[in-house]
Amino acid sequence: MDVGNLVLFFLAGLSIAAVLFIVTAGLSLVFGALRVINMAHGSLYMIGAFVSWFVIVHLANALFGFWAALLVAPLITAIIGAVVEIFVLKPVYGKEHLLQLLGTYALTLIFAGLVRKVFGADVRSISAPAALNSSVPIFGHGFSVYQLFLIAVAVLVAGGLYLLLNRTGLGRNIRAAISDPQLLSTTGVNVTRLFTIVFMIGTALAGLGGVLVSPTSSVDPGMDSNVLINAFAISVIGGLGSLVGSLVGAVIVGLILSFGFAYPPTAHYAIAFVFAAMVIVLTIRPWGLFGRAEQ
Amino acid sequence: MFRLTRLFAVGIAGTLLAVACGGGGTNTTTSFKGTKNVGLSTPITGQSAAYGKAIQAAALLWQDDINAKGGVNGYKIEVKITDDGTDVAKAADNTRRMILEDHAVAMIGAVLSSQCQAAMPIAHQNHIVYVAATCNDYRNTTSPDYRIPEYVSVVPNTYMEATAAGIDAGKNTSLKKWYILSPDYSFGRAETPAFVAALKKTNPSVQILNSPSEWYVPLTTFNFQNVIPKIQAAQPDAIYSNIFAATQTAFINGALQAQPDFFTKYHFVTLSSIDDFNALPDKYPTGIRVYERAPFFAIQGNSIKDYVKRFRDKNNFYPSDWAVMDYDALSIWAAAANKAGSFDTDKVLKNLAGQSFDTLRGKVTIRKEDLQGVVPVWVGTTTRDPQYPFVILKDIVNPPGSELVLPLNRVKQMQDGQCPKNDLANCP
Repeated sequence: MDVGNLVLFFLAGLSIAAVLFIVTAGLSLVFGALRVINMAHGSLYMIGAFVSWFVIVHLANALFGFWAALLVAPLITAIIGAVVEIFVLKPVYGKEHLLQLLGTYALTLIFAGLVRKVFGADVRSISAPAALNSSVPIFGHGFSVYQLFLIAVAVLVAGGLYLLLNRTGLGRNIRAAISDPQLLSTTGVNVTRLFTIVFMIGTALAGLGGVLVSPTSSVDPGMDSNVLINAFAISVIGGLGSLVGSLVGAVIVGLILSFGFAYPPTAHYAIAFVFAAMVIVLTIRPWGLFGRAEQ
Repeated sequence: MFRLTRLFAVGIAGTLLAVACGGGGTNTTTSFKGTKNVGLSTPITGQSAAYGKAIQAAALLWQDDINAKGGVNGYKIEVKITDDGTDVAKAADNTRRMILEDHAVAMIGAVLSSQCQAAMPIAHQNHIVYVAATCNDYRNTTSPDYRIPEYVSVVPNTYMEATAAGIDAGKNTSLKKWYILSPDYSFGRAETPAFVAALKKTNPSVQILNSPSEWYVPLTTFNFQNVIPKIQAAQPDAIYSNIFAATQTAFINGALQAQPDFFTKYHFVTLSSIDDFNALPDKYPTGIRVYERAPFFAIQGNSIKDYVKRFRDKNNFYPSDWAVMDYDALSIWAAAANKAGSFDTDKVLKNLAGQSFDTLRGKVTIRKEDLQGVVPVWVGTTTRDPQYPFVILKDIVNPPGSELVLPLNRVKQMQDGQCPKNDLANCP
């Protein structure tokens, strides 16, 4: 395989990883601070995609629609996240994890039904904004500018989350909550409100992922489960609760999906390699590459 | 005043007479012996949801039409429609429930071939006629593993449509290097080898760039970010695809995203339908070669014109290929049941086998040996026409079903189990 093809597959893998990282970072952040595995995370990704379709088609014109959706969809999923955290999760904090799992799983069914009710069961499609709807030549092949944009957004999100967690008061509190929420509450920090904010950030990232993926795929009522499976695989590989782990895990999964599919002997098993990687990590280092073992 | 009263009386009498003689058209009231149900399990949700809306509308229009004509054998007909979510198990469950609980006297087949294959044993156990209007794996009428005596197909099967597309594609001898993309389930695995065989037979110099193990992607693939670079890297002259519905929409979106001139750089041949065109009204590529099962705009005759008008008047959208074929399926079954004077499955089947029927697509004969409808396929190049809100076809070729059906000796070999793995390619 020539260098041009290698670069093409590498960039394709990174663009797959970009959206997966953004979605998984939200899932991981929530788990790290709240110790909640949010099964409804994929639903919020789906809602983000449908909201972006609605904004682009019905509210904003084609020129600004996508950029408006980038703001509106994460905002809406963050608000939904706040409602979920306050009314569904808060009552079950501190209780066994099974209750949280069942509660958030029930939400996936409710959200799936609501999306069908509100938006219908039709598959939708949206275009990338005109400025990004072109390709650049890479070793003789055209490569989508929009996919390069996805990689750039993922880098920005990663940088933004790093700054948020390490350079702001909110980030300090989140990190403290990850270490010991009870100790943090004794310092006067409103941990209840902090948890709501963290959950909103997590669901906003799911919504952002939904907006970003829409022009490369379809907006359909089944997209929630597909992304959740990959997000969990990434979390297990990278370490649930670790932002760096989400980033590395997403890149590993993206490259496996791209290169695994590219080569004839492995093309049919690309997705299986993702789960093989997950099993290997679980066996050798159950808390993931960058996770911390539970005490 | 007297003249006015007399005029009024004459008017009323005339109206009553017209109604009594049936001159009232659709206002005619018919007394039925009772109601019989026909079952239809179709995707209103899931991967093929885009198809279910028109199928449902066609079934309801047919229901109105047949009952306005006095029903079937004096019975009012109700089409029971259930959503299968494009799910195999749900399609089988729907079939079971409609036969056992709704006492359906006939079933109209599902969309996916795998759904039909799951539902067929249930139709067989209950000895109910099962008319396929969309699912079309050729093995459904030929393979000892799938075939049931109650299964009738009025849709061009995978062999027929792939042959039509393969011959058409092979005639373009400048296209040497082909890349193949297909959904990984029974339909794709039946249709794709048939296309490749017809392509190679027509143009023996073609080269298939990807190996058969690389042809298939999961049916519910909605993200082609890893598939499209692979196609680009292979640098084909042409791409053949039979992915459909939401998966096709996602592929076209992804390809245009990756390379705006994707569909002009690579000659593209694909299965498609009006529902697929409708999914991307402004973006569906023009200039690509498409094969369709029943595009209303290309079908000749007054029946289809009248049907399109009435369908649009009622539903405010154009009928899809599936809407044409499902209407035909119901009409063919009703004609056979009326001719049989009974809903008895054996009698209805006897009046289907080897018989010809007037349909929206013209005269259709159900071949006696495999109960496969001898139906045509349309192949054309996508173009825009201001008359329609979606692309249509130009430069159409329309090989008749008689040129496309599987030869009878092959049917017999398949039915007799002489072709290992139920694969035509393995026949002696």
